[in-house]
Amino acid sequence: MQFKKEKFLFPSIGVIVAFLVVIAVFSVLSNRFFTLSTLGGILTITAELGTVALAVALLMISGEFDLSVGSVYATAGIFLGMLLNHGVNAFIAFLAVLALGLAIGLINGLITTKIRIPSFITTLGTMMAIRGLLLLATAGFPIAYRGHSFLLTLLNGKFAGEFRVSSIWVIVFLGLFAFLLNLTRHGNWTFAAGGNPLVANALGVQVDKVKIINFLLTASFASLAGMLSFARFKMAYPTLGEAMGLETIAAAVLGGCYLSGGYGTIVGAFFGALVISSLRVGLVLAGAPSYWYKAFIGIILILGMIINKEVMKRVLRAGR
Amino acid sequence: MNQEQALLEIKNVRKSFGHVEALKGVSFNIHPGEVVGLLGDNGAGKSTLIKSIMGVHHPDSGSITFKGQEISNLSPREIRMLGIEAVPQGGAVVQFMNITRNFFLGRELQKSFGFLKVLDLAQMEKEAEKIITEVGVRVRSPRGRVSALSGGERQAISIGRVLHFQSSLILLDEPTQNLSVKETDKLLQSISEMKQHGIGVIFVTHNVYHVYRVADKFVILSRGDMLGIYRKEDSSAEKIIDIIRTGQEQPEAAQAST
Repeated sequence: MQFKKEKFLFPSIGVIVAFLVVIAVFSVLSNRFFTLSTLGGILTITAELGTVALAVALLMISGEFDLSVGSVYATAGIFLGMLLNHGVNAFIAFLAVLALGLAIGLINGLITTKIRIPSFITTLGTMMAIRGLLLLATAGFPIAYRGHSFLLTLLNGKFAGEFRVSSIWVIVFLGLFAFLLNLTRHGNWTFAAGGNPLVANALGVQVDKVKIINFLLTASFASLAGMLSFARFKMAYPTLGEAMGLETIAAAVLGGCYLSGGYGTIVGAFFGALVISSLRVGLVLAGAPSYWYKAFIGIILILGMIINKEVMKRVLRAGR
Repeated sequence: MNQEQALLEIKNVRKSFGHVEALKGVSFNIHPGEVVGLLGDNGAGKSTLIKSIMGVHHPDSGSITFKGQEISNLSPREIRMLGIEAVPQGGAVVQFMNITRNFFLGRELQKSFGFLKVLDLAQMEKEAEKIITEVGVRVRSPRGRVSALSGGERQAISIGRVLHFQSSLILLDEPTQNLSVKETDKLLQSISEMKQHGIGVIFVTHNVYHVYRVADKFVILSRGDMLGIYRKEDSSAEKIIDIIRTGQEQPEAAQAST
């Protein structure tokens, strides 16, 4: 009997409640909220934020942060645009952008695990350094691409009128990350590395390797998201994604990830991204000044966390 | 015959951290089925020695051989795969993870689909449930979180691991800390069982009375030096406490007072 009750204690229940609240509020505020075009718009934004948030959640569960994702996201779009404008083959350009992301992830990972600088500081540093270099390289101007490319359609073309391909991609990534975290050895080690690195190390878990892999995944998925955004606008600004580092952490934490590592869910992080995106689209539809966006996210974040905390108390005492 | 070949031989192990000499030449052997009490006050070098055996630290000089193989330069993972299981203070468990995932941590069972390897959760749950029941932990489900278990139950999971994976040496760091009297009894009983299975045990503790009940010999460290090795037949618990307290052996005084 008690077991049945526990089944409802899904650790990410806070984020689902937050999602329902957001939907309820905006369906009252705007009669255009429950339309296919709104859904398409929310999913399009969720795709770009969520692609990064999924990887950030994995990294956070292994006990590390990545604030540099926004800079990597912007760099990816700009770099892809530059390569395409120089007539580089689109798929080679795609691989080159991913390789650049991997290189940044490797730098973050090595500085954090080998020199033992907390990742919050490491990635704060790379976040600022990359952004500065990006502004230098572009002199602050956006990069646009006027040609056509199958790659851009594949990444983020339109379909069924109101929808974009990126919405499908993010669902695929959701499946991939959930699989990786819950059903592979790497996922098991990710939980252990964040939950208790000393014990994990004593039991033969290669903690540093696990973290470096998660840094690599985070940076490459931030690059991928940057390319999704470029494919949507055919343009990238060097100031793109400046809030992304904190937004992805907010999404992951709202979805049940522990700030200190060792616990969290991928589905929760996805819903976290969905809440943030719904908020953004909903406020536009309601005609509210865009300043409301930040205030709302702050409030939702705190409310969601209070619910998560209560749920976690029970979850830790019981099963699941 | 077993007495000939030592399970673990520690020879003149030295380790410094900066100017601090944590180990100044420690040597002792442990044979299969032998329980060694590793004793000493805070800062004696017990933890450094245990971590050197585990592969977390690498000694500056000296050698550590396990079943004849030099292991002092191997990683914790390599050492564990050879059959040395470490149980850090508080038990070798990760709080947020469930019992099954804890039990198999570092030795996960996997199914292969071509190049893709997937955790075999069903098989792991089945085995974990069986072994954990055998070592006397009553849990509702192998999916239950370790955070819901008592200190003794967490230790039991570590002990169950040693028996299941047939490790031949176990390193217990302050295993009776935070255990109730009953749980301590249970742990000491498990140690006797491991001894019967021919498993070597190194038992690090402050509590001489706990370790005295199960140990065959005692290795006493003080500020990185070895004060001596004492066999249980030749020394009372009180004598050992005296040596730890005064930092030297006082055979005449001990004899005279008894």
